[in-house]
Amino acid sequence: MGAPANAPSFGPPGWQGQARPRVMSAGMQPMPGMLPNAHGQGMPSTPAIPYSPHAGAQVSTPSKIDPNQIPRPIAETSVIIFETRQGGQAAVPPAASSEFIVKDTGNCNPRLMRCTLNQIPCTGDILTTSAMPLALMVQPFALPHPSEEPIQLVDFGEMGPVRCSRCKAYINPFMRFIDQGKHFICNLCGFSNDTPREYLCNLGPDGRRRDADERPELCRGTVEFIATKEFLVRDPMPAVYFFLIDVSMNAIQTGATAAACSAISQAISDLPEGPRTMVGIATFDSAIHFYSLKRDQQQPLMLIVPDIQDVYTPLQTDLILPISECRENLEQLLESIPNMFETNRVGDSAFGAAMKASFLAMKSTGGKLLVFQSVLPSAGIGSLSTREAEGRSNISTGDKEAHKLLQPVDKTLKTMALEFAEYQVCVDVFLTTQSYVDISSISVVPSTTGGRVYYYYPFSALSDPAKLFNDLRWNISRPQGFESVMRVRCSQGLQVQDYTGNFCRRVPTDIDLPAIDSDKTIMVTFKHDDKLQENSECAFQCALLYTTVYGQRRIRVINLSLPCTNVLSNLFRYADLETQFTYVVKQAANAIPSTPLSQVRDQVTNTCINILQSYRKHCASVSSSGQLILPEALKLLPLYTLALIKSVGLRTEGRLDDRSYWVSIASSISVLLAIPLVFPRMIALHDLTSRSDDDSLIPTPLTLNSENTLDSGIYLLENGEDGFVYVGNAVNPATLEQIFGVSSLAGAPNLLVLEQYDNELSRKVNDVVNEIRRQRCSYLRLRLCKHGDPSGDFFRSLLVEDKAPGGLSYVEFLVHVHRQIQSKMT
Amino acid sequence: MAEFLELEAQDGIRMPWNVIPGTKQDAANCVVPVSAIYTPLKPNPVIPVLPYGPLRCRMCRSILNPFCVVDYVAKIWVCPFCFQRNHFPQHYSSISESNLPAELFPQYTTVEFMSTTETGPVVPPVFLFVVDTCMIEEEIGYLKSALAQAIELLPDQSLVGFITFGTYVQVHELGFGLLPKSYVFKGMKEVTKDQILEQMCFFAGKTKPTTGVIAGSRDGLSAESIARFLLPASDCEFVLNSIIEELQKDPWPVSADQRASRCTGTALSVAASLLGVCVPGSGARIMAFIGGPSTEGPGSIVSKALSEPIRSHKDLDKGSAPLYNKAVKFYEEISKQLVHQGHVLDLFACALDQVGVAEMKVAVERTGGIVVLAESFGHSVFKESLQRIFQSSDNDLGLSFNGIFEINCSKDVKIQGIIGPCTSLEKKSPLSSDTVVGQGSTSAWKMCGLDRKTSICLVFDIAKKDGPDAINQPTSNQFYFQFLTYYQHHEGQMRLRATTISRRWVAGSGGVQDLIDGFDQEAAAAVMARLVSFKMEAEADFDPIRWLDRALISLCSKFGDYQKETPSSFSLSPRLSLFPQFMFNLRRSQFVQVFNNSPDETAYFRMMLNREDVTNAVVMIQPSLISYSFQSGPEPVLLDVTAIAADRILLLDSYFTIVIFHGITIAQWRKAGYQDHEGHEAFAQLLQAPQEEADSIIKERFPVPRLVVCDQYGSQARFLLAKLNPSVTYNSDNPAPPGGDVIFTDDVSFQVFMDHLQRLAVQ
Repeated sequence: MGAPANAPSFGPPGWQGQARPRVMSAGMQPMPGMLPNAHGQGMPSTPAIPYSPHAGAQVSTPSKIDPNQIPRPIAETSVIIFETRQGGQAAVPPAASSEFIVKDTGNCNPRLMRCTLNQIPCTGDILTTSAMPLALMVQPFALPHPSEEPIQLVDFGEMGPVRCSRCKAYINPFMRFIDQGKHFICNLCGFSNDTPREYLCNLGPDGRRRDADERPELCRGTVEFIATKEFLVRDPMPAVYFFLIDVSMNAIQTGATAAACSAISQAISDLPEGPRTMVGIATFDSAIHFYSLKRDQQQPLMLIVPDIQDVYTPLQTDLILPISECRENLEQLLESIPNMFETNRVGDSAFGAAMKASFLAMKSTGGKLLVFQSVLPSAGIGSLSTREAEGRSNISTGDKEAHKLLQPVDKTLKTMALEFAEYQVCVDVFLTTQSYVDISSISVVPSTTGGRVYYYYPFSALSDPAKLFNDLRWNISRPQGFESVMRVRCSQGLQVQDYTGNFCRRVPTDIDLPAIDSDKTIMVTFKHDDKLQENSECAFQCALLYTTVYGQRRIRVINLSLPCTNVLSNLFRYADLETQFTYVVKQAANAIPSTPLSQVRDQVTNTCINILQSYRKHCASVSSSGQLILPEALKLLPLYTLALIKSVGLRTEGRLDDRSYWVSIASSISVLLAIPLVFPRMIALHDLTSRSDDDSLIPTPLTLNSENTLDSGIYLLENGEDGFVYVGNAVNPATLEQIFGVSSLAGAPNLLVLEQYDNELSRKVNDVVNEIRRQRCSYLRLRLCKHGDPSGDFFRSLLVEDKAPGGLSYVEFLVHVHRQIQSKMT
Repeated sequence: MAEFLELEAQDGIRMPWNVIPGTKQDAANCVVPVSAIYTPLKPNPVIPVLPYGPLRCRMCRSILNPFCVVDYVAKIWVCPFCFQRNHFPQHYSSISESNLPAELFPQYTTVEFMSTTETGPVVPPVFLFVVDTCMIEEEIGYLKSALAQAIELLPDQSLVGFITFGTYVQVHELGFGLLPKSYVFKGMKEVTKDQILEQMCFFAGKTKPTTGVIAGSRDGLSAESIARFLLPASDCEFVLNSIIEELQKDPWPVSADQRASRCTGTALSVAASLLGVCVPGSGARIMAFIGGPSTEGPGSIVSKALSEPIRSHKDLDKGSAPLYNKAVKFYEEISKQLVHQGHVLDLFACALDQVGVAEMKVAVERTGGIVVLAESFGHSVFKESLQRIFQSSDNDLGLSFNGIFEINCSKDVKIQGIIGPCTSLEKKSPLSSDTVVGQGSTSAWKMCGLDRKTSICLVFDIAKKDGPDAINQPTSNQFYFQFLTYYQHHEGQMRLRATTISRRWVAGSGGVQDLIDGFDQEAAAAVMARLVSFKMEAEADFDPIRWLDRALISLCSKFGDYQKETPSSFSLSPRLSLFPQFMFNLRRSQFVQVFNNSPDETAYFRMMLNREDVTNAVVMIQPSLISYSFQSGPEPVLLDVTAIAADRILLLDSYFTIVIFHGITIAQWRKAGYQDHEGHEAFAQLLQAPQEEADSIIKERFPVPRLVVCDQYGSQARFLLAKLNPSVTYNSDNPAPPGGDVIFTDDVSFQVFMDHLQRLAVQ
């Protein structure tokens, strides 16, 4: 079984923006005293919606709001060239979702690190008043735009990178050299250091070192240093990939094992070349089967570890070998595994024990453990129970404790994961399942070790192998690093409050990432412990020590220096909506397992209300009391907030595992993907042929309400994970024939294999889907949603602007927000 | 002497007292206990195999035999043991004086019964190989080729399993065709039978029965699940060969100052449990090939640090072998399990240092296993012994399985126990004596493994008290013994061998001469050797020399001919005359002088002593010495240093070692190569003769003895000198004759020993 012919390989995503705040034309009221945007786009304006609530009970009259005038994202098509600093000032970065090309002129590429606020409040009080969060989203391996310069590598030789001797911050463009260059002042802690003799250089008339422009570390926001011995506790580890495959009865019978084997077999050709790339493989049911692939044995040797309470590795060597030495053996083995276990009647699956045993085999090097699991782990250490069913039966006793099912059942897997992390083993779990597998418990392992959960539910041997292969291939071929440690430093006055993401934290200051890749984002929140000086700049420096897949130890240093301000309205003006909203999403995801859902929804709504209320109270004119006034930069906050409340993670109905999966995804999601995760993109497919070839490949997204879905239309709605193809009930059979190859979809399976047929429409549909897959770095799982079918209802529930049983319509929500603000104001 | 050998040839029994001291007191005075060394499966073509089941006494369950009194008219037989009158059943109705069933023929005191209807189908024997891999490559190479040869010789229908071990235990799944596949168990941890059942997927796809003993196909394990691990040899030859071919040194790293981590105990426990799961109650043997001491998990005998030496006899005596008792206890548990399952543990221990035979002894001996001790897997002692086990020839071992040995005797005789390869079934009966020797407190024993040579020593107790009623039964001055051995024949069927014998008893002082006439001094020596070995192991602070000396003195004063206080008048009847020499040599033997040997060697020697017949035991106690020279043909000579001469070749057979010793002149000629020159054929023949004799001994002995060919004054000559009576030592008054030899020892010579004996006996 292979990937379908039309399975694209996905590379870096394109940079087609589609969510750009739009200026409202109707009913807006200019805000006095507002400065033009620093980057000069958009009118200095504050949208306001005319709305006069009647005093008293007449609440439900939102008809005065013109639904066509309320803020919605608009697509931006032109590419922006962005210089990170202009005229010695930090430039305000373009929206994360827009297409831009960065020139690193001192501050880092915003893809790598961006802040919720582009001006930093001088005091904690201002920040609190604004009700906005102060946080960085760090995505250290974010894919660059193809036209951007690569990050420069700096080798300081034996002496290692120059660092502040007090706070150990790395040399960066904002360190100030004084005294003819003999000393430099750390921009983070303010300490005056002696310049190392080897690094001395005279200053020019402008007070900069004469060599500043030749030295990347003095002129670029992001550089990489070659790590010296002091950064090495051992030789850099080899790139180890260990595949662990469930072969229990269910996995075999659903075709999951075969899919996994085929995916691995195809993907191993994409492993990094060279002698330092090593592989190993094991399978498991109620026992763990290792394979020694040593070359001089004609056949692999199968070694079974039957004790799943107290596991061990059966060999210390020969289980993990350089790929060059065992490729043939491995391929043969992968081919024969599905047959070998064809008649397996063992229903139990010792997931935890198998991971532990594989870990023991990898312990000496560390590396990536890729687990393919198909059923609820039912045996051995770390086995789980069908909590979901128990939860359901308890629902009558009250919903109070429902969120407990979203917490790991016990500490076993967490303890295991901490040990994995300590030995630099990163776990990715591919769940190809037909039933509840307790993702809340399972996801602890990948999220602690820098991996992630991939979820294929319900697994289809027909449509999912292609996605499985593409996910695996991207997993092992994307830019990544091993055995990493990351620390974020900031200027005095601020301190790091917390880190959020998939990592393990042993000391308060650093986070350990057994693996880090281009898809992972770490959120860092800050709090004030002192005042910052107005007109000074506040610096952030992220240092990531890691080993490349080729075994070089490096330090990636990412610098961002932002102006400080005491002016509240500046905070609002320079707020970064998408980053802020990503913060809200992650906070909500964090809260879900520990708080009842209704409370989480309230918290999310309140965050939105408090921000808008603060703006209303402190920045908007008093006269506009009957109007809902939104800060320009944050005008989409209510829409996104509404979308979040209705998202899979926060909606009341839905499967437990779906919610857990959503939580696990959200914790490490990038700014770029966080928005579509809750606020999907919908495009029409049926009329693709009517567009001219000059238009951008992907048509303009449609507003997410049901008025936009015609019965005669076919629509694709995608959130970066799944693609829902909605087919109305009056679609021309000819169109169906063109896209799906059949004239009627009655009885068609919900999981869709999109094939390319020999017609223009089919070609365009495939092009669009492939382009989206490329953008999202994810092979969308396509699902067919038919009108009048439960799948169609589910599709409708994703149209966030609609009024739904579980939530308000967009207009109603705006009314609600406005009312809340008003009641707070009085 | 000859009459004892005849009796042995017929029934496989030798008794020190063929006329039995008839009362408890008499028996006590006789010093050497009333006992018998019985070889249950002694081959004898005359023994009939009866195609029907035996007829049993309805009272004492003894079997119809030639000593039964039969009333042909009434069709009634009287049991000689309990005097119960039994009716013959219908199918014996045609019985008459002229129409006897075979078991009543007077000459058929030993018969075999083989009733297929009762014994069920033929079951193939099972061989489970357990192979150590913690060895240097060279040794592994030797072992590989030996195993490959053995596999070829396996009977086609026999089932085979394969386990290897080092740091971990690997159970090879021979029935898995696609890849070499094995289950790996941690060496540190003991594995129970339940774990084997569960972890090796014996219940795959089925629910585990909630209660009851689960094992074997009888209890619902599918034949397929068993056939994964135990396959007919003919079906898995290829897989087995490739596993053996790919055998490699245990891959876990060992630092230079450490011993390899070898989990012998766990491996054996896994093997035992696997057999217990798959073939409980049917003949199976674990054949363990071990190349060093166990250092990992239960049953380990020494720590990994090389700085700690392996325990010696001295350590055991002082109690400073911390792991010893724990290991023995562990192997006791294994032996219990194996006995319960009816399985055998064979041990092939090949290493320069000890491997823990002393600890494993209990499991080997109680299951009737074979033990072979050699220095290397390349040594002929190991290689040829292994082959011998599977080779079918006139001298094959006739390995049999799963035996149960039962005994019936006249009511005045009780059984104290058995010293030999068996386990008490704890079936207490009026027959069992309160005094226990060896495996006792029972009248039935399990003999999981037995072969044609396995000989057990039964020690009896005469219960009859002195007194008037002792003399009041002149009609019955016979004791009857019936030995029943129910076993799985090496061809697979179950058989029952019944031996019934009768011995006269005498009571009171009048019987001394009768006793002397019935005294079998070789059997007595063998029994004494087993007894003293047993007591040395079982009794704390036991002084074997003192015990033997006292026994010999009492025996001599009771049966010797002398005038009181006149040592020079002392003489012994020919029936007893060799006995003092046997005891002299027993005192000097490896069984008593343990400090010359390692505990492993001692355990090995004793295990062999406890399973061999009288003739071989005597060779172990007192080696035979044959002289070859131009002057005369081969002739036995005294086991004395004076036997050495420059122009003689000596052939010493001490059972474990055979030494061909060339006198110095012969040695020089041989070195010069005269035997190859024309005209010296006689010399070539002289050289050849002892070699041929040695070969013929080696051919029928198991385990194959070690052959040492040496020259006078050579270093290997110590193998001979150690066994000789030191009549001429370095400080003797009379110097050695020219060409003779002296022994550097302070041990007393036989002459001195005899002088003391005579002096003490006549007191």
